[in-house]
Amino acid sequence: MSKMNMNLYSRGDKTFVMVNMVLIGLFTIAALYPFIYVAALSFSSGFAATAGTVVLTPVDATIAAYERVLTAPEFWHSYMNTMFYTIAGTLMSLLIVIPGAYALSRPQLVGRRFWNLMVAFTMWFHAGMIPFWLNMRDLGLLDSYFGIIIGFAVNAFNIILLRNFFESIPSSFAEAARMDGANEFQILWKVFVPLSKPAIATITLFCIVARWNGFFWAMILLTDDSKIPLQVYLRHTIAELSDDEEFAATLLSAAYSVETVTAAIIVCSIIPVLLVYPWVQKYFNKGILLGGVKE
Amino acid sequence: MNNSVQQPNVALKSIVKRYGDVEVVRGIDLEIADKEFVVLVGPSGCGKSTTLRMIAGLEEISDGELYIEDRKVNLVAPKDRDVAMVFQNYALYPHLNVAGNIAFGLNIRKVPKDEINRLVTEVAEILGLTPYLERRPADLSGGQRQRVAMGRAIVRHPKVFLFDEPLSNLDAKLRTQMRAEIKRLHKRLGVTSVYVTHDQVEAMTLADRIVVMADGRIEQVGTPMELFNNPVNTFVASFMGSPPMNQLDAVVESNAEGSFAMFGGQKIALPELEELQGADGRKVVVGVRPEHVFIEPTEDSSPIKVELDLIETLGSEALLHTHVGDTPFVVKAETHGDIDHLSSIDTIYIPTRRVKVFDGETQMAYGFVKAEG
Repeated sequence: MSKMNMNLYSRGDKTFVMVNMVLIGLFTIAALYPFIYVAALSFSSGFAATAGTVVLTPVDATIAAYERVLTAPEFWHSYMNTMFYTIAGTLMSLLIVIPGAYALSRPQLVGRRFWNLMVAFTMWFHAGMIPFWLNMRDLGLLDSYFGIIIGFAVNAFNIILLRNFFESIPSSFAEAARMDGANEFQILWKVFVPLSKPAIATITLFCIVARWNGFFWAMILLTDDSKIPLQVYLRHTIAELSDDEEFAATLLSAAYSVETVTAAIIVCSIIPVLLVYPWVQKYFNKGILLGGVKE
Repeated sequence: MNNSVQQPNVALKSIVKRYGDVEVVRGIDLEIADKEFVVLVGPSGCGKSTTLRMIAGLEEISDGELYIEDRKVNLVAPKDRDVAMVFQNYALYPHLNVAGNIAFGLNIRKVPKDEINRLVTEVAEILGLTPYLERRPADLSGGQRQRVAMGRAIVRHPKVFLFDEPLSNLDAKLRTQMRAEIKRLHKRLGVTSVYVTHDQVEAMTLADRIVVMADGRIEQVGTPMELFNNPVNTFVASFMGSPPMNQLDAVVESNAEGSFAMFGGQKIALPELEELQGADGRKVVVGVRPEHVFIEPTEDSSPIKVELDLIETLGSEALLHTHVGDTPFVVKAETHGDIDHLSSIDTIYIPTRRVKVFDGETQMAYGFVKAEG
């Protein structure tokens, strides 16, 4: 991009640009600082962390917190669990959301308005926590891998997002495929899904992030420690270290503290999401529909 | 109307399309012969695209019967009708390259790989797409995309081609070029084709027979020249031909010399027509094509005083936009390389034998000869 020539802008425009730049700068700092702080904290000594002297860079740099985290087998176990919940859960979600959104986008669906309303309804009203828990219990889905995966597979917002995208695809694509002999499944998988990569990438990212960070319901529904995901393990660790009086007694001399261990786990848990994002992001700005039809 | 043919390949019998209470196609009867190129033409909303989509199977037929090669196909799925369609917006799959687009239908039908390769190569050859087989639609020009869309249709060797305004997205020059290409392709493949357009020039140049539609009905069916020379009513008269036929409201007056159309103190001699016998005082519409008017006196012609508004130069010809009273009247005149001699024109000459007369009430042509065959 060429450098913006300020002479072309009026004073009002210049002010607008300046204010924008300042605001965006502030937002960026506000969003980035927690990352930097947590990373710095995770490499600081326990004493520095407890004393609150860490601001931007590690103080008394050490990897003690990481040693504490990475040597615990439960950490790796919960990490694997989170991986599993994320991958299987996202696949399950896509498997339900994509055909669901396609069906809801088709004008020939009988009772289409009604079904769309029913799906949207769940965005605003749900039964609440206890009925949901009871429901899961009665279905035998407490303390089960499958319960976590199927219980949160469907997200009305994602369905509506994808449905709207499908609806925006010119009807001639589906018609041309029908003339070519494709049935509805073939139209969906061979035409609509490839055309909807940006939208599907978006909801995939939503699913991955939601699964990866999934904490609350995993904590409620899973009591078996061998099945808990990383976020629940993180909470257990915090609780464990806080309650450990022996550990508390050595706190002033310890190489790590509750804060640094927590920060180290957070850093470990962020890395995979950071790695996935650039891969998904390439689909976001790509006009995949370009060239196929002429409006 | 000559809506029936000897050996129909496609036959529409009283076809009706309703959306709720609204009838958009109101009983169409049409037979299309094997290898024939039929163009459905009419203003937007006349039901031509809906009719085509009913033949394709993309719209349900509300009433009537549709036959393709003697098989009633009202309830046959589009893929089993053995028809192929070229869409207005091409509907090329952007994620597939040219070869993939052409082969899409064959892949769906599980045609063996070798056979697909052979067919795609053959079609690419016919359409001049061989160098572009690996390209994606986004990297093609408008004309190439249009050709890919046609390739997708012809690769299956269907019984009928359907074209839904395939050229309306192209610029004028490319449109002329593609028009010729479609015509050539039809000659080469000899497949029955139904082509929808609102462009009467496309209709005239491509069609074996033209079906003029308005308001969900067929107004007239005939060869391009039949429609041009012998329009059944004022609608067809004004729709076919460019610029359209001039129409003047007049009243019939007869004397010993014959019948005349009187308007605004002027008169045009009318040809001898059965309907004009004893028609004194009847309201008629006089139709004259711009290219049939002379700017110099000739035998058997009526001089008409006009006021010249402007001259549009087309090169070898010019369009003189004039008016007679309040009615606009366009004259096409030869320039002979110069328009100076046209700028002072105040009288035009209308040859009697070229005058068309329509009933003032029903708008139907007098002396209409039903074409045979």
